[in-house]
Amino acid sequence: MTPLVRLSGLRIEAATSRGPAHLLRGVELTIGRGRILGLVGESGSGKSTLALCLLGLLPGNVTARSGEVVMDGVDLARLSPAGMEGWRGRRIAMIFQDPQAALNPLFTVGTHLVDVLRRCQPGVSRRDAVAQAGAALARVEIADPVRRLRAYPHELSGGMRQRVVIAMALLARPDLLLADEPTTALDATVEAGIMHLFEGLRAELAGSILFISHQLGLVAQLCDDIAVLYGGAVVESGPAAAVCAAPKHPYTAALLACELDGMPGEGRLPSIPGEVPDPVSTPPGCIFAPRCLHVTERCRREDQVLRGLAPGWQAACWRAA
Amino acid sequence: MTVAELRGVGVRFPGGVRALDGIDLVVPTGGIMGLVGESGSGKTTLCRVLAGLMPPDAGQIEVAGREGAGFRRAVQMLLQDAAGSLSPRMRVRRLLMEPILIHGLPRAAAWAEMLALLHRLGLSGDVLDRYPHQLSGGQARRVAVARALILRPALLIADEPTAGLDVSVQGELLNLLLDLQRERGMTCLVASHNLHVVQRISSRMAVMYLGQIVEHGATATLFAAPAHPYTAALLSATPVLDPARRRTRIVLHGDLPSPVSPPSGCRFHTRCFQAQPRCAMEAPQLRPVAGREVRCHFPLTGPAGSATPSGPASS
Repeated sequence: MTPLVRLSGLRIEAATSRGPAHLLRGVELTIGRGRILGLVGESGSGKSTLALCLLGLLPGNVTARSGEVVMDGVDLARLSPAGMEGWRGRRIAMIFQDPQAALNPLFTVGTHLVDVLRRCQPGVSRRDAVAQAGAALARVEIADPVRRLRAYPHELSGGMRQRVVIAMALLARPDLLLADEPTTALDATVEAGIMHLFEGLRAELAGSILFISHQLGLVAQLCDDIAVLYGGAVVESGPAAAVCAAPKHPYTAALLACELDGMPGEGRLPSIPGEVPDPVSTPPGCIFAPRCLHVTERCRREDQVLRGLAPGWQAACWRAA
Repeated sequence: MTVAELRGVGVRFPGGVRALDGIDLVVPTGGIMGLVGESGSGKTTLCRVLAGLMPPDAGQIEVAGREGAGFRRAVQMLLQDAAGSLSPRMRVRRLLMEPILIHGLPRAAAWAEMLALLHRLGLSGDVLDRYPHQLSGGQARRVAVARALILRPALLIADEPTAGLDVSVQGELLNLLLDLQRERGMTCLVASHNLHVVQRISSRMAVMYLGQIVEHGATATLFAAPAHPYTAALLSATPVLDPARRRTRIVLHGDLPSPVSPPSGCRFHTRCFQAQPRCAMEAPQLRPVAGREVRCHFPLTGPAGSATPSGPASS
C-alpha cells in the first residue's frame, strides 16, 4: 500500500539578517495510512516548520523551497493558493499547541464547531449542524455538551479548550491530522486525559496522525512510527517501539539517554553538550558531528543521508548497520 | 536540624482565592526537597512566602531560626524565567554587584568571591560587560544563580528550573544544582511539575493540591507506593519510555475546582476515583501513614504502582 504522505528532498530556506537560514534540509519522510507518526527533536529542529509546510502556511520570509510533498498522488508544493484551500481544514487539519490562541474569544464554542461544518458540508441545516457539534463535544468527552456549545472560550479550562480544538479538527474528518505539541501547555493529569483521548481516536479516525512532541515518552506510548529531526533533517525514522528499544543513530540514542525515565538513579545526569546547528552557517559533513560522541574524521568529511537498515527503518549515519 | 518550618500558613488573594491553606511543612537541613503539583496548586505561592517576597495572611514561617523579615538574606529564589529576572538595562557587572550593595557585604572581598563563583559556574569574564539580551539562555540562568549564591543562602528555592528547557540540556543544569548543593552545604527546594526530575534529584518531596499539602515524605517511598490517590494519579500520568515499566494510567475526570470555593470535605473528592460519602463531608487531616504523611481518609496501601483504582476511572 502506498503511504498517505511522502516528503522527499524537502528544503526550505528563509531570509534572515545574517543570510539565508536552512530551516529544512532535504527531509525524507513517509506517513503510512491510518498510522500515527511521532515527530521528535529539540527546539529549532524544524518540527513546526514541517507541519506548516504540509498546511501551506509557511511564513512570509521563506525565499526558497524545493522537493516534493506528495499526498495521495498530489504534490501539495505545486498547488496554487486556491488549490490548497481545498485541502487545508478539510483533508488536512491541525491542532495547535496553544488552544487559547486557536479559539476566537468573541465566538462561542458552538459557533466554532458549526463554522467547520458549514465549510466541510455546504448546505447543512443549522439544526443538523448544532446536533453534529454537540455530538462532537460528547466524543471528546466534554460533559454536558449542549450547555458547553453556548460557552465562550474564556469560560473553559485549558484542557477543555484543547478538547474543543480537537473536536473542530475531527468534524472535518481529515485524512491527515497534524498535532503540534498538543499537550505542552497542559498540566500532567490533563495531559494524561488528552493522550487517553488520542488513543481512543485511532479507532474511529480513518486517517493518519502526525504527532509532534519534544517528549519521547509521550511519542513512545502513542505512536506506531517515529521520526527524529535534527537541524532540519530526519536523522532516523522507523517503528517507534524498535527505535526506542535500540536506536541506531547516535543522536536518537543521546536523546533517549537524556530522558529521565522514572528510574531512581544516582550520579551525573546525561546531557548532550554543545548546541543545535546554526541554520545560517553549518559546517560540512554529518550535521550531528560537532556533538557526537563517536565522531571520526570521515564524519566531518562526508555528508550523511538516510540509508535503510530494516523494512521501514532508516538512519543517517554510516556507522549504523 | 531544620532549615525552615511553616506552621498553619495561609495566603488569600483578592477575590477570595485561597492560594495556600493550613500549610504545615518542615524542611530538613541539607539535600533537595521537591515540591510537585499542577498549575494552581499553590507551588509558586509557597515558594514566594518562603522567600519572604509575600507575607502570609495566617501562620508562622521560620527560616534559619528567624521569623519575619529577619530571614530575607537566608533564602534566595531562582525565578522560573531567569532571563526575565535580570534587568535589561543593567550590564552583568552591575547585576552581580546589586546583591552585594543591597545587603552591605564588604565590597572588595565579596567581588573577589563573585569572580570565583562565576568561574565555578563556567562563565568567563567577558560576560561582565554584556547586557542580558546578549547572553544565551544558559548563561542568563548562571548569572541568576551567581546573584543568589553570593549571599550564601541557607535555603535556595528554584521555581521550575527546567521549564522550557530541552531534555538535551536539562541534565547539565540539574547536575550544576546538585553539585552546588553538596559543595556549599545548603538546602534546596525545587518546585517542578516534572516528576522524573523530582524523583532523580530530591530526597524528600511534598505533593500539593488546591493550596494544601496532600502527601509528604521520602521521595523513594512516595514513588514506590503513593498513598494519596492524587499522588497515584500524578505518577501514573507521567509518560515512561519502557512499556514494561508503565503504570496503569489513572485518568482524572473533571478539572481542578475553583480555589475560590474549594469542594467541601476533602478537596480532591470531586475527581477522586475512590471517593466515599465521608470524603464529601469531612475534611481529612495530614496524618502519618506507612512512613509518610497523607491527607486522605482512605489512603492506598500496597506495593509499587498497584494503586489500581476500581470502576470506570481506570484506563
